Amino acid sequence: MSTDVMIKANALSKRFGNHRALDNVSFEVRRGEVVGFIGPNGAGKSTTMRILTCFISPSGGSAAVSGFDVFDDPLNVRRSLGYLPQRAPLYTDMSVWEYLRFTAEIRGLGEDTFKARLKKVVEVCGLAQTLNKDIATLSHGYRQRVGLGQALIHDPPILILDEPTSDLDPNEKAEVLKYIKEIGKDRTILLSTHNLAEVEEACARAIIVSKGRVVADGALDNIRSKGSRINYTVTIDERHAEGGHQPPSAKEVEDALAKLKGLQGVKELPTDERAHSFLLSGAKDTDLRAELFRLAVQRGWTLLELRRESQSLDAVFKDLTRRDEKLDRGDDWSGAYDGAEDEDEDEDDEDGEEQSAGPDDAAEGKN
Amino acid sequence: MRPLVSITKREFRAYFDAPLAYVVVCISFVVLGLAFFTLRGGFFQIDRASLQLLFEYVPFGLSLLVVPVVTMRLISEERRSGTLEMLITLPVKDSDVILGKYFGALSLVLTLVLSTLAYPLIMFKGPWSLGTIDMQPVLSGYLGLILFSAATVAVGLLISALTESQAISFFITVFVLGLVWFVGDVADFMGGTAGAVLSFLSFKSHFEGFARGLIDTRDIVFFLSITVVALVVAFRALERRKWA
Repeated sequence: MSTDVMIKANALSKRFGNHRALDNVSFEVRRGEVVGFIGPNGAGKSTTMRILTCFISPSGGSAAVSGFDVFDDPLNVRRSLGYLPQRAPLYTDMSVWEYLRFTAEIRGLGEDTFKARLKKVVEVCGLAQTLNKDIATLSHGYRQRVGLGQALIHDPPILILDEPTSDLDPNEKAEVLKYIKEIGKDRTILLSTHNLAEVEEACARAIIVSKGRVVADGALDNIRSKGSRINYTVTIDERHAEGGHQPPSAKEVEDALAKLKGLQGVKELPTDERAHSFLLSGAKDTDLRAELFRLAVQRGWTLLELRRESQSLDAVFKDLTRRDEKLDRGDDWSGAYDGAEDEDEDEDDEDGEEQSAGPDDAAEGKN
Repeated sequence: MRPLVSITKREFRAYFDAPLAYVVVCISFVVLGLAFFTLRGGFFQIDRASLQLLFEYVPFGLSLLVVPVVTMRLISEERRSGTLEMLITLPVKDSDVILGKYFGALSLVLTLVLSTLAYPLIMFKGPWSLGTIDMQPVLSGYLGLILFSAATVAVGLLISALTESQAISFFITVFVLGLVWFVGDVADFMGGTAGAVLSFLSFKSHFEGFARGLIDTRDIVFFLSITVVALVVAFRALERRKWA
């Protein structure tokens, strides 16, 4: 194993009674990477993080953090990382300073080191005003900052943050993301969220999990290209045409476009301009732009816009996790039985500890 | 070692950050005072220079009020609010968590128990000077109280480690500690083998010797064993989260 691998999960699995929370999850995070760990609620994000922080043990597989095994050396694992659990559970009867002091004490920081680190943490997390307040009186956003502060107090090389931005207002979210980017410059960060916009903002790489399995892992661009379609946006002027042709009607354009080879779908887009705008989708690994241009020239259309893009991360995420969501809602029973590996999933769904009502809100975060 | 001390300190301080400790301390002192001087005629009617009554009432109050209140939140509350995850994912051993909380709670209970030393000091040594008291039973009685507190706090901690609800933890602790106190009375009635078994299980029978000035190794071993076993089981209960 290369020493550069800071977090290594190897075929992790975890069962809670009958419910399979994790199923053969493997991934690696290297030094200096900021990795987004995303998936719908109940996908196993928190479970994985709890295993990595040695709060719970996996039922199968192994994991190592900073080279220390989670079974054999939990204390060294915990020493080398800072962890912010979901919803930042803090002792509400302590003041912010007392709390940070307490964690520093347990982590064995000396008085001088603590003071120096505290200064830095207060600066990065914006805690100067709240240092002497009781945690009970703080808003959720500030508690989240304190949680981040305690994770940073010993200057750990690895940070594991479980939904650091959940329940925050948009301003606070932006702030926290800003901190994460800032502190991520020289640290390894594994960050779980179900908000894709955050991943796109803060991370270069993402691991998508669904129903306890890793469904995608790689650079954001690679994951985007995992989408099965390429989208094109074409806009044609509806008032002018070149070379003596009549300006085309929407119907003519649509018909002409539909005849193109390799096209999988044509959909008219609403537009403010006096133009016809269409969203076309083509197969992956094809490029229809030249065809589209030739068609426009041939018909004398004034081409105002021609754009090719792979699916958004959002759409890929939906694609990758949709089948599981359908199973959850029970509206795709035929799908539940078409794959041999899905046999035991249809009944297990209800008892997951963090199942939530709306798997959709995860994917819609970006809109 | 350092995490253990930090957790103990935090636990002990947490009692005084909340009104709970003050309320319990005040109520138990008032009740103890009333009971000691007035209940069933009280101290003066007995007319002896003895603290026998004190050693009857204090364990009773510890079992039914003080220890359940002090231990109910130890682990159950942390489990419910999620702070347990925060605490355990710091570089601490599970045993540090259990022992830290145990010593934190025990410190509070012992503070309370040892403050009742005011009774013998004021009444027989200090301003009142109600006569000469035989100090041997007093000292052995306090040794008994310390052992008794150690065992009951451990039992309370164990029960707190088994549930997520403070209220349930409180009631079960009251029930269990009440039970192991009162089976001593039942044992006195029953006699025979059943009586002997109950008497062996009873915290009361094991404590009575100390109150009379009799230090018996069997009683010391009994309370220490209860303490150790309860702590070990509590440790296992905390560890169980890993596999459940």
